[in-house]
Amino acid sequence: MPVIPIKEYADSDGLYGRVQPQYAHFDGITLESGTFLGPLTVAYETYGQLSPNKDNAILMLHALSGDAHVAGIDESGRLGWWDAMIGPGKGIDTNRYFVICSNCLGGCKGTTGPPSINPETGRPYGRQFPLITIGDMVKVQAMLVEHLGIERLHNVIGGSMGGMQALEWSVRYPDKVRSAVVIAATARLSPQGIAFNWVGRNAIYCDPIRCSDGSDRKESCEDTGRGLSVARMIGHITYLSEETMEAKFGRKLRLKDMDGYLYNLGENGVEPGEFEVESYLRHQGSSFVQRFDEDSYIVITKAIDYFDLEKETGELSEAFKDVQAKILVISFSSDWLYPTSMSLTIVRALLKQHKDVSFIELDLPYGHDSFLVNAGIPSMTRIIRGFLHGVR
Amino acid sequence: MCADVRKIRSPFHEFAFGFNVIVDLIEPGTRVLDLGCGTGTLLQRLKDEKNVEVCGVEVDQEKTIRAIERGIRVLRFDLDEGLDGFPERSYDYVVLSRTLQQLMNPGRVVREMLRIGAKSIITFPNFGHWKVAVQYLLRGRMPVYSTHPHPWHRTPDIQPLTIDDFRDFIKRVGGKIEHEIHIIGDQPRTQTFWANRRAEWGCCLVSAA
Repeated sequence: MPVIPIKEYADSDGLYGRVQPQYAHFDGITLESGTFLGPLTVAYETYGQLSPNKDNAILMLHALSGDAHVAGIDESGRLGWWDAMIGPGKGIDTNRYFVICSNCLGGCKGTTGPPSINPETGRPYGRQFPLITIGDMVKVQAMLVEHLGIERLHNVIGGSMGGMQALEWSVRYPDKVRSAVVIAATARLSPQGIAFNWVGRNAIYCDPIRCSDGSDRKESCEDTGRGLSVARMIGHITYLSEETMEAKFGRKLRLKDMDGYLYNLGENGVEPGEFEVESYLRHQGSSFVQRFDEDSYIVITKAIDYFDLEKETGELSEAFKDVQAKILVISFSSDWLYPTSMSLTIVRALLKQHKDVSFIELDLPYGHDSFLVNAGIPSMTRIIRGFLHGVR
Repeated sequence: MCADVRKIRSPFHEFAFGFNVIVDLIEPGTRVLDLGCGTGTLLQRLKDEKNVEVCGVEVDQEKTIRAIERGIRVLRFDLDEGLDGFPERSYDYVVLSRTLQQLMNPGRVVREMLRIGAKSIITFPNFGHWKVAVQYLLRGRMPVYSTHPHPWHRTPDIQPLTIDDFRDFIKRVGGKIEHEIHIIGDQPRTQTFWANRRAEWGCCLVSAA
């Protein structure tokens, strides 16, 4: 096998090659709410080789709309959502580490979630799917890790909701994680975050209700997805920064030959969208509807809303009392959804408990989504590679 | 002039010598927090040579990344914005090397150091050096010297101080100097005659009074 040199940084190029989804099956779990959910399927992908000592495993944790396909090229030719970071010689080097990424509980990409068949009814769960927490998602991930025969992970890493999971891992399974990278995350969702999620879900609730049992509605109603599309558009605004929007769209009009405003709202209440930012958002919204389930969106945003590490102990540092992992917290200067101050709250609470925490705020202009933007990859690559390397 | 400046500055600038003084002050196997750690060169040495548990604080993004790259634990904080996250007596030593004169609020930072560390090590360029004084006195110009190599309009050293100033300052912030080392022509000395006028650098081991 040819030696692939360490890359200073990489692009999304699918270097890892083809990957196949894998599935693990479990009897079920008792959720934090007390409800039993089962049986469970977990969809996951792996990259690289597990070492004989099983000590080189890294668990990738995806954000709200992500899935298990984090790197390489899947059956339909799609690149992984963080392909620029993961692969041979990349920031998370698959020649060195065994990388696992699973779709989260409640998702719609192969792991048990609202679109899965409810064994009691023989129909999809839909809105009957029990409400879950970030802790429940992590519990299912831990079951998968155990299923793969791994006692201790070298690292857990994720951004946004994935960062919440990385924190939850460190708190809940202190002896099972050597290190954690928490990117653009928070230890408790802010009221502003809850508010945006609430508006998003309410947009979905505005869609006509199809069938009371929550089934078959997708076939019977052509309006379906408009609410989810609005939810996604709202979400997307919160992931960008004002600066990026100005640079990317400005006040540009959508049609190049348009030399003025249309003074027209379109027909049948469907506004065409004159500004580029509008058509961009519309595209984001409508393409999201093609790839995401609205009930998963509801369930996952609720789980994010519920996330609050302070809740049980009253003080965040108390929650971190048993943490053993080395933790790296990364925030972005332009992230106004999970701003640096929230990362600093995590860092201070860990310091208070004398934990091994590192912190860096990166000056990147791309808002909350900075970690997924390729322009941020060079610095993120150096940081993550160096940190992973330093973990013993 | 320029080459000359670099030559004189080298001991503290290239870390070999200036850091020796600091490394020698630190007991093996202790916990050290380096404020303004740069790329982590001193901490790397302490880790390698003295088996020290290290942590750095740095405000510059690129330097912070380079410290993380070499496996040094580092926090990107602005010293002037406070160190209140660190618990009391959480470190055996807190180091502030060549940074005191660059702080907006040195009093606050040094009080925090005395709170966080059992001992503090502070090094700073001595603005009282006779050559610096001569430049000001005879030429009537803001001094540019090996220890203060930048012209007044683009210097990071916004609060120049002398060794005598430092002694007063430490008393005022509630500390006491346990050990004083003066760097004169690359040589560390103690009990120096006329240190305030002869030393290029001061290096002090300080604890809470």
